[in-house]
Amino acid sequence: MSSDELSYATIRDIGARLRRRALSPVELTRALLERIERLDPRLHAFVTVTADRALADAKAAEAALGRGDISSPLLGIPVGYKDIYATRGILTTGGSALLADWIPDEDATCVTRLQRAGAVMLGKLITHEFAFGIQFPGHRFPPARNPWDLERMPGGSSSGSGAALAAGLAFGALGSDTGGSIRGPASFCGIAGLKPTYGRCSRSGVLTLSWTLDHTGPMARTVEDCAYLLQALAGHDAADPASSREPVPDYVAPLGRGVRGLRVGVVREYFFEGIDPEVEKGFEQALATLRQLGATVEDVQIPSIQSAGAYTAILLAEAFSYHEHDLREHPERFGEILRERMLAGALITASEYVQAQRLRARLQGDMNAALRRVDVLATPTSPKPAPTFETVYDPEYGFPRGNTGPFNMTGLPALAVPCGFTASGLPLSIQITGRPFDEATVLRVGHTYEQATDWRKRHPNV
Amino acid sequence: MTLEELRDRMKAARVEIAENRLELVRRLLTDALRPIHAMDSRKHKTLEPAVTFDGRPRGDRVQ
Repeated sequence: MSSDELSYATIRDIGARLRRRALSPVELTRALLERIERLDPRLHAFVTVTADRALADAKAAEAALGRGDISSPLLGIPVGYKDIYATRGILTTGGSALLADWIPDEDATCVTRLQRAGAVMLGKLITHEFAFGIQFPGHRFPPARNPWDLERMPGGSSSGSGAALAAGLAFGALGSDTGGSIRGPASFCGIAGLKPTYGRCSRSGVLTLSWTLDHTGPMARTVEDCAYLLQALAGHDAADPASSREPVPDYVAPLGRGVRGLRVGVVREYFFEGIDPEVEKGFEQALATLRQLGATVEDVQIPSIQSAGAYTAILLAEAFSYHEHDLREHPERFGEILRERMLAGALITASEYVQAQRLRARLQGDMNAALRRVDVLATPTSPKPAPTFETVYDPEYGFPRGNTGPFNMTGLPALAVPCGFTASGLPLSIQITGRPFDEATVLRVGHTYEQATDWRKRHPNV
Repeated sequence: MTLEELRDRMKAARVEIAENRLELVRRLLTDALRPIHAMDSRKHKTLEPAVTFDGRPRGDRVQ
C-alpha cells in the first residue's frame, strides 16, 4: 500500500489491517504525522498537532492489539478534534484570541468517548472563530484552505476537520453544527459529515454558540466511517441537559440493506433558490441513482419552509446572550466579522425571538408530517460549490442563506454525502435527512448511494 | 429594516457597530426577521416555550 493509499484508506480498511496485525498503529500514526508536517503548512487544518500524545495513544493501541483486544473498530485509528472541543491539558482556542492560551482541565464527553474506543489523537483542528466568524487576513488563527483548490474556503465552521479529511491527514474528525458547520465543510471538501438528531451526541465540554441549535457529530471520508464514529459517540450524557436517553441502535449492521422500497422525498421549494446549475445537475443525477437502486423518489411539500430563515434570528440572539459579557468588556478581542454578527443579536427584540421559536415549532410539525409520508428527505447540501476567499472577503458577501439551517431548526438527523464534481473539479454534495433518532436509515441511504458511485475514490492533488 | 431603525435598536441595546458595516448588519437582520414580521401571530397555537409532559418514563429530554 503506497503512502497516499494508506492516507486515504477508510476506518474500516485500516481497522481490519490493524486487527490482523498487518499494520502497526505506531507506524500508521508516524506516517500521518509526517504527512501533516509536510502538507499542513499550506492547508492550515491543524491549530495544534499533538505528536507526543498521538504516539502514546498509538503505543497503547498496539499493546491492546497485542493482547488480542479487537473489540473496537476505532482502536488505533488516528483522528482530529475541532478546536472547540475541550481537551484536557491541551490548548483549546475556539479560534478566538479570548481563549488563545486556554488549557482545559477536562475532555469534552465526545473526546472521552472516542479516546475510550481507542482512537489516536492527532491534534486540534482549526475552527472559524467561536464556530461563527470567518478569519480575515491578519487573524490570529489563519483559515484552513480547501485541498481541492487552495484559493477556496473549505467551508465552516469545522473547516480544519473538512480540510484534514480531504487531504488524508486523519481518518475521522469531530465537527460541530449550529447551522451547517459539519455538512458545509463536508460538502465543499468532498467528504461525508453527519449532524445527528438534537440530543443524540453530547455537547458537554464543547464551546457554545447557540444552545438550541448546536449539535456535535462525526466527519469522515465515507458514510460507513461516520457510522463507526457515531456508534462510539452516541448515548446519554447527564452533563448535557439536552442529551436524550433514546436507546442507541447498531448503526453499522443495517448499512448493507440497500434502499429498495424506501421513499425519498424531495423538497423543491426553498432549497433550490439561487442554486448553481452544476449543483442541481449533480443532485438530479444522484436522485436518478437512488431510483436505479430501488428507492421511490417523489416531491413533498413543507408548507412553512420559507419560515426557516428565522433560524438566523435564533442563532444571533442566543450567540449574543452567551457572549454578551465578553462582547461588552473586550470587544477588541473578537474578530471584526464575528463581533458584528454577534452584536446584531443584541438588536433582536424579545418578541422577535419568541416568534422565531414559534415558527420553529410549526416547521418541526410540517417536517415531521412530511416524514410520515417518506422515509428521508433529500436536498442539495449547499446551493453553490466552495467560494473563493476573495469572494467571502468582499464586504458585500454578507451572510449567505444555506440549505442546512432548516434541519438545525428542527433537530433532525442530516447527512452530507459527495455526489459529484463541477467541471472545474469542485465537490458536490447531497443532503439526506431523516426522522428523529433514525440516523440508521439516513446512513443506510447515504452508504448505499455512496457505494454505487466512485466519488469517494477521487482525492485532491495536494 | 431601515438604517434609522437599526440605529434606534443599537441605541436601545447599548451597542456600537462601525458606520461602514451598518448596511451589512441591516441586511443580515432584515433577512433574519422577514419570516417573523410576515407571521400572523394570532394564527399560531401558542405553546413555546413551555414545559410539556407525556406518559413516557421520565428522562427523555425533560430531566
